[in-house]
Amino acid sequence: MHLIPIGTVITVQVEVFSILIIASALMIFFLFANRSLQKADPFEKPKGMVLICTILVGFFEKLTTDNMGAKAAKKYAPYIGALALFMVVSNLSGLLGLAQPTANYSVTLTLALISFILIQRTKIKVNGIKGYLHGFIEPFPPFIVMNFFGTVAPLISMSLRLFGNITSGSIIMTLVYTFTGFLSGFIPVIGGFDFVGVALAPILHAYFDVFAGFIQTYIFIMLTTIFIGNELPQE
Amino acid sequence: MDIGQGLVAIGAGLAVMTGLMTGIGQGYAAGKAVEAVGRNPEAENKIRSMLILGDAIAETCAIYGMLIAFLLIFVF
Repeated sequence: MHLIPIGTVITVQVEVFSILIIASALMIFFLFANRSLQKADPFEKPKGMVLICTILVGFFEKLTTDNMGAKAAKKYAPYIGALALFMVVSNLSGLLGLAQPTANYSVTLTLALISFILIQRTKIKVNGIKGYLHGFIEPFPPFIVMNFFGTVAPLISMSLRLFGNITSGSIIMTLVYTFTGFLSGFIPVIGGFDFVGVALAPILHAYFDVFAGFIQTYIFIMLTTIFIGNELPQE
Repeated sequence: MDIGQGLVAIGAGLAVMTGLMTGIGQGYAAGKAVEAVGRNPEAENKIRSMLILGDAIAETCAIYGMLIAFLLIFVF
């Protein structure tokens, strides 16, 4: 965990700058999308930026409607879309040389805490405070320990799953690069440069960074929508 | 090298052994998925996405073990 001093009094962790860069890049993307969407004609086939936006919005609306029902999906689909876009870009930002924000447990704990608060708020809104507290004691009082752990478990497991996947991916890649650097030292003349790593690493990057980044984002939003949808009354 | 570092290494190796049962469980899930596709070839896309989702959730046990092993090696 690297700390960077600002001035002489404050030190921040280096992932703060990564979050600022990612947020600025996403804002520029949204501004460009807005400009091309204003000029688009709704009656002809979409292409280019309009096509990308149509596919993204349709994907997130379908996912939230499948898990939460149509009424609640209208309220939650924008947050799920923003969360998924931010998480995908920050999981893949290791390929661009940034320090990944989701490789820091503070960031993943915050995101899981937001989902946890949404789940508990839905539960309280549907049952009322008395029903929520009474739900801990059913079916009979000794169950309170298991209900308590069942409530806290999604928070801890979602944050640790995301943190563990991304951080261990970057540690494994560091170890692979160290090993290939050691192997490249045996090449006679040009041994200072890591030639074996350049040939061998892209396949591992494709699994550890790209595949794991997409899958973990999909799992995070699926679990959030499923947990929230479990609390809503069945229709 | 004192005995403390040797014990840390043994602990890290024991922590990674949570991957054993993860391998068995995910292989079993893949077998069931192949069986389901054989019974119902039209639902292949849904079965594939459910398989990937179930695999990544079952993988969390192995990830916890690997995380503990990395913490032991790099911090102690």
